[in-house]
Amino acid sequence: MITRRNLLAVTTGTAAFAAVLPRIAFSQEITEKTVFHDPDAPVLGNPAGDVTVVEFFDYQCPYCKKIHPMLEKVVREDGNVRLVLKDWPVSGGASIFAAQAVLGAAQIGKYEPAMGALMKTTGKLTEEAVEKALTGAGLTMKEIAAAVNEHSAKISGLLDRNYSQALAFNFAGTPSFVIGRTTFAGVLDEKGLKEAIAEARAA
Amino acid sequence: MRFFLSISSCIVTLAASAVAFAMEPPLPMDQAFRMEARRNGADVAIRWQLEDGYYLYRDYLSATGADGKRVEIATPAGVIKEDPGYGSTEVYYGTATATIAGPITGSLKVTYQGCQDGGLCYPPTTVDIDPAALAPISNSELAAPPIALQSQAAFPLVSKAVTEPADSPGIRISDQSSNGIVGSLLDRGGVLLLLAGFLGLGVLLAFTPCVFPMYPILAATLSREGESLSAGRGFVLSSTYVLSLAAAFSLFGVIAAGWGQSFQIALQSSAATLVVAAIFVALALSSFGLFELQLPSFLRNRLAARRGSGGSLASSAALGFSSALVIGPCVTAPLAGALLYIAQTGDVVLGATALFALGVGKGIPLILMGTFGSGLLSRAGQWMERVRQVFGFLFLATAVWLLDRLLPAGTGLLLWSILAITFAVFIGAFDEMRPEADGAARLAKSAGMLAGLYGVILGIGGLSGATDPLKPLATITVARSGDATTTKAIGKDLFQSAASTSELSSLLAADGGGTPSLVYFTADWCVTCRVIERSVFPDPTVANALDGVRLISVDLSEINEANQSLMKELQVVGPPTMLFLDGNNNEIAHSRLVGEITADTVTKSASAAKSPP
Repeated sequence: MITRRNLLAVTTGTAAFAAVLPRIAFSQEITEKTVFHDPDAPVLGNPAGDVTVVEFFDYQCPYCKKIHPMLEKVVREDGNVRLVLKDWPVSGGASIFAAQAVLGAAQIGKYEPAMGALMKTTGKLTEEAVEKALTGAGLTMKEIAAAVNEHSAKISGLLDRNYSQALAFNFAGTPSFVIGRTTFAGVLDEKGLKEAIAEARAA
Repeated sequence: MRFFLSISSCIVTLAASAVAFAMEPPLPMDQAFRMEARRNGADVAIRWQLEDGYYLYRDYLSATGADGKRVEIATPAGVIKEDPGYGSTEVYYGTATATIAGPITGSLKVTYQGCQDGGLCYPPTTVDIDPAALAPISNSELAAPPIALQSQAAFPLVSKAVTEPADSPGIRISDQSSNGIVGSLLDRGGVLLLLAGFLGLGVLLAFTPCVFPMYPILAATLSREGESLSAGRGFVLSSTYVLSLAAAFSLFGVIAAGWGQSFQIALQSSAATLVVAAIFVALALSSFGLFELQLPSFLRNRLAARRGSGGSLASSAALGFSSALVIGPCVTAPLAGALLYIAQTGDVVLGATALFALGVGKGIPLILMGTFGSGLLSRAGQWMERVRQVFGFLFLATAVWLLDRLLPAGTGLLLWSILAITFAVFIGAFDEMRPEADGAARLAKSAGMLAGLYGVILGIGGLSGATDPLKPLATITVARSGDATTTKAIGKDLFQSAASTSELSSLLAADGGGTPSLVYFTADWCVTCRVIERSVFPDPTVANALDGVRLISVDLSEINEANQSLMKELQVVGPPTMLFLDGNNNEIAHSRLVGEITADTVTKSASAAKSPP
């Protein structure tokens, strides 16, 4: 069984790979299906919506967290948007740990509370801070570790695909968006987001 | 609807995007942060040039050596960025620097991470540096996020240390080091208390070596009025002088803060010194009656109620303005506080007003002297001529004092010698004295003889290599007494000198840490520093207090990029400044000493550094 310590070792292990592996991501096919309808990626908003907003983000990225309430508000008010948050943990071990934990929580039906709790964190994260945020949202590390352990192939696969796609889109960092046929690097404000949705809907 | 997003079409749509961005689209990382590495002795100095609107995190700067182990990386203090979504983090805008102390074997990996302010955060980037090649290699890596693919459910065990930020051996300066004066006065009593406080501090500083030259300068200015000098006139002229001095002082302060505190350094430039010295020579010649310094006649007629009045007001103003150049480089705690306050808050008006109050405070004793001393000066005839001549020499002395720092060592002493001997001749030391001569004439003659004798000694000292006008025979006496000195007194020679950030950090890291340190910023041209070296360091209590403290000096006699950036990093405004660091190279709160430094304050700060709270 994966414990919190083990999980931690995993995350730093992947970070250490970093400089070694080439950008093999380019070989992957990027299609509407893989970007917008990855079967393992949790969907927020209206799952039957006619426009999909994809955000590549990191729980340690200050601007991702800052705009998150606005993003949720626009999606809610629109009512016809699918929101897919793609974990792209670029800021090291704690980011990967957080992404794995939240995706683990998703496996036991706790995606929104887990993701919401981490989006509300401030400052640089540590494993302890992630744990604190999740337990604050009524989750236990025991059940999360169990879920991550059980679904590790699925979670790792999803994170791999997210990573490949972000590279394929040539994104420089987080947050970055794919809305309709257009990509956006960096923060979108409310007006920009609404315009992008309207444009995707018109296309 | 069929659509297929190929990689290339995505990149095209990225470029062709018609939807407005919330802000400028982020730059590619290698354009946002331009990194260069240079060898600095055995050290590697790394510098990032950041585009406007981008920042780097201090905590994410790290380095590993060829063996994969973490290498210490020294980074200066950054700016605290308060972000509602991210708490407070320490970041760099504009430029960031880091030093890895040598010797370094093999290659280095340097990792950094930054963001576009308000827009996008880049992944950490790792760059390979080959210290032997003096340049960052594999530049192409800059563009690639170094995070690897997530491991395929294989969980290798790797030390957690890999992702932790480096422990920087750099100095962490105290938030309450010396810049709190303005803020704390403001908090306690608003602008009024601030101004009153600075006025009062100015009065206290009026009797320090930096302000001393102002007294003869003002007296000389007043003496140029001759017989028409009255108490009222003295008041008007000295007030004009002081107000102009204070105005210039605050103006320089604002420019200094705006230029990142380097303005005082500019005041030390050869050109500025030459100009001011020339002004004093002109004043001297005018005092000798060679020509009259006056405004053009049309202006004079308009301004002047009395003959020469407007002219002398204007010349006192001009003199006050140039005198600020003389005291400008003298760093004092309130000056440093005000400059840092302006630099940090951008509140130019308040900072300038505080400096103006400080300048006026320094001038209050001058105004008193000008008002009540005027009666003594104004006497008719031969006496006034004499007084003017004496002051002419004082102007020349000021000019020599200024020029001394530009001249090769020893030459200044020869100038002093010439000045003293010429003064002796002018005052009548070598004139024949009649037996019926009065006391004043005899006193003048003896003063002249003494000046002549001093001039001769200065000449001998200068030719034998001495540099200090107050110790003209130092080289001769030291040569004779040999190494007889075994006293415990602290001397300048006990200080290790550091000329740059990297030198300082390697000195600080020399014995693996744990030793408290004193970092003393000094300069040849710093008058107050001489006083400290002559009367504070030799004090036995100071020697005791500094026992076991590593002594490091930073010589600012010649300002260059390296020591200027060190000053900026440590928020040092100028010499004399002393920083006291505990064994972990953290500055002790409230221990920093700036300007007037006494044995007492050094002892206190040093004990705090030895046993931090």
